[in-house]
Amino acid sequence: MMKLARNRFILVLAVCLSLITLSGCQPQNVPIGLVYCSEGNPESFNPQIVTLGTTIDASSHQIYNHLIEYDVTTGKVSPSLATSWQVSKDGKVYTFKLRKGVKFHRAQWFTPSRNFNALDVLFSFNRIIRADNPYHDVSATGYPFFQSIGFQSLVKDISAPDLYTVTFTLNRPDASFLANLASDFAVVLSQEYADFLLKAGTPQRIDQFAIGTGPFVLKQYVKNEYIRYQRNNDYWGKRTVIEHLVFDITRKNSQRLAKLLTDDCGVSALPKPLELKVANQYPHVQIQQQRGMNVAFWAFNTLKPPFDDPEVRQALAMAINKSDILSVVYRQTAVEADSILPPASWAHSINPTHQGYNPVKAKQILQKKGLTNLRMNILTMPTARTYNPNPVKTAQLIQADLAKVGIKAHIHSNDWRVLSKKLNRSQYDSVLLGWNADNSDPDNFFSPFLSCAALKSNNNRSQWCDTKFDSILEQAKTVTDQADRKKLYQKAEMLLSEQMPLVPLAHSNRIILKRTDIKGVKLASYGGISFAKAYHNKEQND
Amino acid sequence: MTWYLVRRLNLFIATSCVMLMVLFYVTHLFPVSPAVALSGIADPSPSQQQVITQAYSLNSNIISQFIAYVQNRLSGDFGVSLTSHHPISQELFVVLPASFELAVIAGLIALVVGIPIGVLASFNHHKMTQNVIVATTLTGYSLPVFWIGLMLAHWFGIQQDWLPVSGQINLLYEIKPVTGFLVIDSLLASKQYGMSAFYDALQHIILPAVTLSILPLTVVIRITRSAMQNVMSQTYIRAAEARGLHTGQIIIKHALPNALIPVFKQLGVMLGPFASYAILVEVSFAWPGVGYWLVSGIYQRDYTVIQGGVFVVALLIIFLNILIDVIHSLVNPITKKELYGQN
Repeated sequence: MMKLARNRFILVLAVCLSLITLSGCQPQNVPIGLVYCSEGNPESFNPQIVTLGTTIDASSHQIYNHLIEYDVTTGKVSPSLATSWQVSKDGKVYTFKLRKGVKFHRAQWFTPSRNFNALDVLFSFNRIIRADNPYHDVSATGYPFFQSIGFQSLVKDISAPDLYTVTFTLNRPDASFLANLASDFAVVLSQEYADFLLKAGTPQRIDQFAIGTGPFVLKQYVKNEYIRYQRNNDYWGKRTVIEHLVFDITRKNSQRLAKLLTDDCGVSALPKPLELKVANQYPHVQIQQQRGMNVAFWAFNTLKPPFDDPEVRQALAMAINKSDILSVVYRQTAVEADSILPPASWAHSINPTHQGYNPVKAKQILQKKGLTNLRMNILTMPTARTYNPNPVKTAQLIQADLAKVGIKAHIHSNDWRVLSKKLNRSQYDSVLLGWNADNSDPDNFFSPFLSCAALKSNNNRSQWCDTKFDSILEQAKTVTDQADRKKLYQKAEMLLSEQMPLVPLAHSNRIILKRTDIKGVKLASYGGISFAKAYHNKEQND
Repeated sequence: MTWYLVRRLNLFIATSCVMLMVLFYVTHLFPVSPAVALSGIADPSPSQQQVITQAYSLNSNIISQFIAYVQNRLSGDFGVSLTSHHPISQELFVVLPASFELAVIAGLIALVVGIPIGVLASFNHHKMTQNVIVATTLTGYSLPVFWIGLMLAHWFGIQQDWLPVSGQINLLYEIKPVTGFLVIDSLLASKQYGMSAFYDALQHIILPAVTLSILPLTVVIRITRSAMQNVMSQTYIRAAEARGLHTGQIIIKHALPNALIPVFKQLGVMLGPFASYAILVEVSFAWPGVGYWLVSGIYQRDYTVIQGGVFVVALLIIFLNILIDVIHSLVNPITKKELYGQN
C-alpha cells in the first residue's frame, strides 16, 4: 500500500519536474526589446510641468525631442528639431530653422494629420509663458523649471515668420538661454493634438497620454507596474534598434538588482553603493558610472526661527561630518561638496570661505544663541535618488551628528507626493533634497532652487530670497565671457557659504547597472536617461 | 435546507454591514477632508466639490451619509486613485485576477501534494517516514513566509539562476488580458510568441506559488493525517479489509472521501491567514496582485486605494468563508442529517 502511494507521488513529481525542465529548454521567442527597471511612478509624461527625475527619465528623451540638444561628449549644443539657429548681435533675438518631414506619433488615442512645424513650437512655449493660452492652467503643478529660471519674464515674444522658422525675442540678453532650450524640460508638443483634446473637452489628457516626435511611442502605463513604449517607425532620426522599451517600475533597490541578475530587466536604475560589490561578482552585469552634475543638500526653512539666523545655520553646517556620510551612504561613489557647483562644471572653483567639520565651534555658537535644547525635524524621502542613494541613512547620520551638539532631530520619511505637500505648506525645519542638473550651464545650479523666482514656483525649499544674490545671478547671465562668469559664480558661492540657506553634502556619480550584452545606453552627467541608441550585442552580430 | 441557506445569507449580509460601517467610520479618520478621502480627487474644483457633496450626501446627517456611501460602494464606485487618477474599480479588475491566479495555483499545489503526503504519513508502518513528515511539516508551519520567500528567491533565483524571482512575466511579452489569468492568457497569445510566453509565465509563478502554498500545504498534511488515522480505525474500514479489498481501493474509495471533509472545513478557517500571507508573498515577489497594489497604496497614502483594497479583500474573505461553510454542509452527511432534523 505504502509502495503504491509512494510510486504515485514519485510519478507526480517526475511529471512536474519534466514540465519545468521542458520550459527551460524551449527555444526562447522573446521579442526584441529592452526592460529598464526604474525606481518609481512618473507623475505625468510631460517634462514641462515637473522636476522629478523619474518623470524626466520616462518622458523627455524617450517620447519627445527638443529644439536643440546637448552633445554629451563635447558639451556643446547640437541640432535636433531645429537644424540651425542664429543669434542677433545684441543677444536678444534667436532665430531657429526647423527640420522638415518630422512626424508626430501615431498612437491609439491620436492620429496626426500633418507634420511637425512652427505652430507646434509656438504652442509648446506659449503654453508656458502666456497665461491666456487655454493650456496654461491645465497643469496643476505649473511649470516649475521655467518659472524658477524666470522664463516668462525673459521671453518677450515668440513668432513664426513662416512654417519652418521660429523667432524668440528676449527682453534682455541671456547667456543660459540656449542651454535652457536644450534642457530636458523644453520639449516640443503637438499643437494639433492639443486642439483635438480641447475640442473633445479633455485637455488634461495632454500630459498623461503623450504625443511627441521622439524615438519611442508611449503605449501603455500601468501604475506601480510598467510603462510600455514601442519604436517610432517614422522617426526622423536614426531608427532605434530595439522595438519595445518597457520601464519595469520596481521601487525596492534589492528587487531591481534581483531582476537584473535573473534577466528580467536589462538595465537597472539607481543601485545602492553597497550593491555594486554584489554586482561586481557577476560577469554578466556591468556597472556604468559617470561623474554626476548634481548636488545633494540639506536645506533649512529660513522663514522659521531659529533657522532664520545665518549664524545658527552656519553652526548646524559645521556640526555635520560630511566624510562620514560619504563613506557610509555613498561608499566613495561621490565627492564631498563644499559648494553647490560640482567639480564637473566648468564654473567650479575652490570655495575659500568653506568651513569644515567643527562640532566644538558649532556648540559654542549654539550656546551663545541660547539654543541649548533645540529640537528640529528633518524631512526626507525613502526612495533612492540620483544625488543620494539612501536619503534615510543620510538623515540618520545627520541626526547623530546633531545629537553631539545637543540638538534633538526627528526624521520624517515620506513618499514624494506627501513630502511635496508638506514642503509646499512650509511645515518643516529642514529637508534633505538635491538637484540634478538639466544642462551644463552653471546657472542651472542656482536659479532653479535658490532664486527669488524659485521661491514663487515652490522650488526654493530653503524659502530663501536674497536680492543681492539674485542680482549676481542676473549679471552672470548677461555676461558672455566664460572667465567673467566664473568669477561671478564664485562670488555667488561665497555669499551662499556666508548665508548658508542650505548645506551642500555631496556630488554623486551617476550609476546604472546593466547586462553586459546591452550597449549604447546614454547616461550623461546631467539630465535624463536615453535609450534611443541602445541595442543588444547579439542582435548586432546577427 | 432553505432555512439554512437563508441563515447563511443573513450572516453574510450582517457581517458585510459591520465591515462597511467600520470602513465608513475609518474614512473620517484620514487626515484629509472626507470629500477627498471618498472620491480620491485631490484638489476638487467647485463644481466637482458639488458633485461629490451630492453623491455622498455630505451636507446631511451621518445616517444618510452612510446610506449614500453604501450605495456608491455597492454600485462599484470606489472613487479614483489619488496617485494615478484612474477609477479604483478599473484598477481592481487588473490586480484581482493576478491574485486569484496565484492563490488558485498555490491552493492546487497544497492539495495535490498535501493530501498524498498526509495519507502517507497516516500509516504507522514506518515510524521514520512519519516522523520526518511531521517534523518537516511543523518546521514549514512555523517558518515566517517572507523568510521562506527570500531564501527560495535567493537560492533558486540568484544563486542558481534557474527561476525568475519577481513579477508575473518578462514584460517584453505583451499579453492581451482575456481571462485575466496570465498563465492562460499567455497560452492564448501563442500565435504571437509561440509557447515561450507561456513557459515564461509558468516559470515566474513557480516560486511565489510554492512559497504561498507552504502554509496551506502543512495544514493540509496535518489535517489529512489525523483525519485518515481517525477514519482508518473505523469499523467499516475493517469490514472492507475483511472482505479482501485492495488497500489502495479502500483508501481512495472509502477512507479518503470521509477524511477530506475536515480538510475542506479547515480551508475555510485558513482563508484569513492565507490572504495575509498572500499579501506578504506578493510584496516579496513583486507579484502585481491586490496585496502589492494595496501595500503600494499605503506607502503613497492613496486613501481610495486603501479603502478599495480593504473592502474587496474583506468582502471576498467573508464571502468565501460562508461559501465554504455552505459547501461543507452540503457534502457532509452528518450536518445534512442535523439540518433535516431541524427542519
